[in-house]
Amino acid sequence: MKKYLALLLALCMVFALAACGQAAAPAQEAAPAQEAAPAEEPAATGTLKIWVAEAVVDFTKEQVASFMADHPEYAGYTVSVEPVGEGDAASNMLMDVEAGADIFGFPQDQLARLVAADALIPLSDENAAIVAEENDAGSVAAATMAGTVYAYPLTSDNGYFLYYDKSVISDPSTLEGIIADCEAAGKSFYYDLRSGWYMPAFFFGAGCTLTYDTDDSGAFTACNIDYASEAGLGALKALIALHKSPAFVNGSSVSNATNAAAIIDGTWDADAAKELFGENYACAKLPTVEINGTATQLGGFGGFKLLGVKPQTDETKLALCDDLALFLSSGDVQLARYNVVFWGPSNIAAKADPAVQADEALAALGAQLAFTVPQGQYPGEYWSLAEALGDDIIAGKYDTADDAALMEALQNFQDTCISYAG
Amino acid sequence: MDEKKRGNSGFLKWLGNDLKDIGQTFVRGDWKTKLSFLIMGFGQLCRGQIVRGLSMLALQGGLLYFIFGFGWQYLTKILTLGTVETHREGRVTVYGHNSFFILLYGILVIVAVLALIYLWRLNLRQNRDAEHLLSAGKRLPSNKEDLASLFDKNFDKTLLALPVLGIFIFTVLPIIFMICIAFTNYDVTHQPPSKLFTWVGLQNFKELFGIGGTGNFGGTFFYVLGWTLLWAFFATFLTYFLGMAVAILINKKGIKFKKLWRTILVLTIAVPQFVSLLYVGKMFAVDGLVNAFLMRWGWISTPINFWANATSARVLIIIINLWIGIPYTMLIVTGLLMNIPAELYESARIDGANAFQSFRKITLPYMLFVTGPFLLTQFIGNLNNFNVIFLLNQGNPKSLELTNNAGATDLLVTWLYKMTINDSNYKIAAVIGIMVFIVTAVISLIVYNVLPSVKDEEGFQ
Repeated sequence: MKKYLALLLALCMVFALAACGQAAAPAQEAAPAQEAAPAEEPAATGTLKIWVAEAVVDFTKEQVASFMADHPEYAGYTVSVEPVGEGDAASNMLMDVEAGADIFGFPQDQLARLVAADALIPLSDENAAIVAEENDAGSVAAATMAGTVYAYPLTSDNGYFLYYDKSVISDPSTLEGIIADCEAAGKSFYYDLRSGWYMPAFFFGAGCTLTYDTDDSGAFTACNIDYASEAGLGALKALIALHKSPAFVNGSSVSNATNAAAIIDGTWDADAAKELFGENYACAKLPTVEINGTATQLGGFGGFKLLGVKPQTDETKLALCDDLALFLSSGDVQLARYNVVFWGPSNIAAKADPAVQADEALAALGAQLAFTVPQGQYPGEYWSLAEALGDDIIAGKYDTADDAALMEALQNFQDTCISYAG
Repeated sequence: MDEKKRGNSGFLKWLGNDLKDIGQTFVRGDWKTKLSFLIMGFGQLCRGQIVRGLSMLALQGGLLYFIFGFGWQYLTKILTLGTVETHREGRVTVYGHNSFFILLYGILVIVAVLALIYLWRLNLRQNRDAEHLLSAGKRLPSNKEDLASLFDKNFDKTLLALPVLGIFIFTVLPIIFMICIAFTNYDVTHQPPSKLFTWVGLQNFKELFGIGGTGNFGGTFFYVLGWTLLWAFFATFLTYFLGMAVAILINKKGIKFKKLWRTILVLTIAVPQFVSLLYVGKMFAVDGLVNAFLMRWGWISTPINFWANATSARVLIIIINLWIGIPYTMLIVTGLLMNIPAELYESARIDGANAFQSFRKITLPYMLFVTGPFLLTQFIGNLNNFNVIFLLNQGNPKSLELTNNAGATDLLVTWLYKMTINDSNYKIAAVIGIMVFIVTAVISLIVYNVLPSVKDEEGFQ
């Protein structure tokens, strides 16, 4: 009897193990498909998967349904819409291209990674022409690499500007004034200086550049950077001075801010900021800051959300993907999307809509956009390198450093940035 | 060196004997045995051992089909890991070779070949033994007896067959695969299915140790390794001794509400670490609770950024870990304390020993003896304590002095995680995985061999 019990237990163990193995199964199943893929035969049926941010899943479903109703030629395809955050979408696509979605939304800083992993198919010439004509120049540039358009712009609102509390900040036009008001009121000024995205506000504002050149395979060929310069030194000193202020708190998320009077953040936090500041809610372009003795307007990145199409092995499905992605990024849909989730459109016609024009946060972003550069492509290592520089500033490593030591740190940063290219 | 030589010659001798045995089986065997060299199970079938014969034949057929029908296409490419790149015909994508699957299935096929060789050898031995039995005038075991033996003499094999298979597929195969990745250039610029990766020998190891690599990879690796060991040491022994102290304190005669104190401490176990650690991490932020209270009480005028500085972040992590770790040790030690015979303490007291002396001479040796293996597993667990580090501060702060996303409180495992998830740097991550294994294996073996509980099993009987 004992023996059979033992056998039973052993069997249970195996099933338990098999259950653990479930997650690995799709990868193995993918193998035969992999081999069969090149010899495909045209079939007008199939499935198509879309990944979009949680907030727009229902909206996207509705739009897809109306698209499918207008296009009976694709009736054989079933389209599923799944909630996958934009940052995750890019990582998931890189992890396993074949299991990934056919159409997916992603932030444009992921473009180079996705192109390098061949997770994006370039737009057809007709679609590229339509996209270039209907969207603002910055968003088209963000979707373009080495002259090829790889994605459909969805939004033109991935930038940052100043949210502030009218009752505390009397004049949001200079950083010195904001800091003084915050200190006087015992409130905090939030800015994320340990971030490759927010930190350039100081450096770009001071007149520095940091861009990368890429070739058409998504590889980085050259880095154009001049942080180790008089202007860069001034920007770094301004950052150090900011970190020394007791009112400074590192951060850029309204929902994590506990004692904020001013915060540099983006449109995605507009609702949270309204809630935090209540009737004292106000927005403005970024302030000026004293760099090397002159008041300098802070710069920064203009960023965009994009919609990409995965390389396809089936011609009909590719056509469907192209048409659907073009539709989902069209002006009408962008405007409809703005009305539902307030994502600032990149489409020129949608931007001109009165409802969009009246949005306070988008207006502040629009004012700031004049001082920003469209965000190009940066290697993944750059973002962690910038965090490292930010951490060193916050840890106080440069608090007492002289100009020579600061210049050495900037030179080190610059050399490391250059080493990522080529 | 000598031992290795002996090992080598031992293996060669075994191989020689085995080959000789195979030859003798062929030369001395009858035609049934001879044909079994080609068709496995033939001899058994002819001699009426249908079950053995059929299973051998089925296994041979299955494995050969797997090797040639499925695996051959992968096996032939395993030296290059594929040569045909993914390309586009018009706008339609044509996928080329997939290095990932070539490596994975290639390994599987190699294992299948080894299994086939083993079964073939087993098949020969069965034939030889059957002939010996027959020539000695004995009866061969019948089919019924063969089957019955699976639930009697060979019951261990029956029991273990499926678990071993499961462990092989879900544990051993992935480990072999990961070790192989360490010798390839599988990284962000070589990602299947669109890009190929290939063998690069020891290149990744050289890069990690800073030989001929770019940046400060070697320095960063040893920095992270140093902190990993330091952390494991403090995390293990501080929680151990403080937990013991708390347990002894609560256990002391005259302490009231013993159960209440224990319950309060155990509450930290009741809240999942995912929740409590994330929350505590936030509490110590610049705008967190701790700073807010310190400022309200007027102890500090400006907030302290605990997580910004390498030293303060490290100290804080160790302290927070104490808060989580002490209750566990306390529970274990409380149970053990009650096991120490009270007479020992009594006679110590009569001999004039003070409290500290009886702790040092009675309690501590007993504890170390009983909890030695526990301490070892704690230490190894702390070397790989992903949760505490990652949930508290993600291994930050970073610094320009470190490369590849590493931070001052990163352990090797959290660094490995960042490399795979953020940077898709699978090749170096695989090398670090091997390094983690070496570190844990060396420490385990050394410590295990000097543990009193292993050396002297009867010590406290």
